[in-house]
Amino acid sequence: MTHRIVVDLQTGVTTQVEYTPEEQAAHDAAVAAQQAAETAVTETVTEPVAETPETQP
Amino acid sequence: MSSVAITGNAAGAGVFTLASPNSASSFTATLPAATTTLVGTDATQTLTNKTIQGGSITSGTSVATTSGTAVGFTGIPSWAKRITLLLNVVSTSGANNLLVQIGSGSYTTTGYVSTAFYATVGPSTQSVTNGFLIRADNASNNIAGAMTLLNFGANLWVETWLGGGTNNNQVYAGGGLVTLSGVLDRVQLITTSTDTFDAGSINILYE
Repeated sequence: MTHRIVVDLQTGVTTQVEYTPEEQAAHDAAVAAQQAAETAVTETVTEPVAETPETQP
Repeated sequence: MSSVAITGNAAGAGVFTLASPNSASSFTATLPAATTTLVGTDATQTLTNKTIQGGSITSGTSVATTSGTAVGFTGIPSWAKRITLLLNVVSTSGANNLLVQIGSGSYTTTGYVSTAFYATVGPSTQSVTNGFLIRADNASNNIAGAMTLLNFGANLWVETWLGGGTNNNQVYAGGGLVTLSGVLDRVQLITTSTDTFDAGSINILYE
């Protein structure tokens, strides 16, 4: 689970606040979308440029 | 020898008591050789002709930035006029920027005027309105530096940011301001996009 960390300077207490299910779902969806975008870029194939036949003199 | 006189007030009805603390040791409080009024700690008062040495800067608690998406400090006292957020080789999992947000009761997420850059040779600059920007560009950034927040007056806070990359020869800088809806009591460092913290720590100083 993703979380936030909060330090109360008055008490010195450090608390870890877990994401709510909705926040976690949104974060997971964003991560999945980013991974999909990165995968799509990796799989893009660049077509080779056809060579132009040399002209005989 | 001089004397000590304790004088009551004929117009008053209250009883004023000199009380000692619970202590096994003996102490002496020396009265000032002047006609004056002693200062207590119960009210806001103005001191004149006093020299205060070693005005203190209060340090918070260092917190690891090795997980999660936000690390914040709450309970900043209302008298704080200068707040310094210290970054100790903070790193995130991705290539996205970091933000510092401040607030009063809750974090302010709009209304910032903030521009920052990172540079190896030429700078890469960006402006945002949802926090004080720490411009970053890749997951290998290990950022060390300090962001200073200065109270301009009322609830207007001015920000300066300066840092360096400990493993990529980059320099980071920025500046901005924001007006809060109330007295500042918190500050947090957050990741953006899908990034999470994966190294370093932060701390806070206030004065």
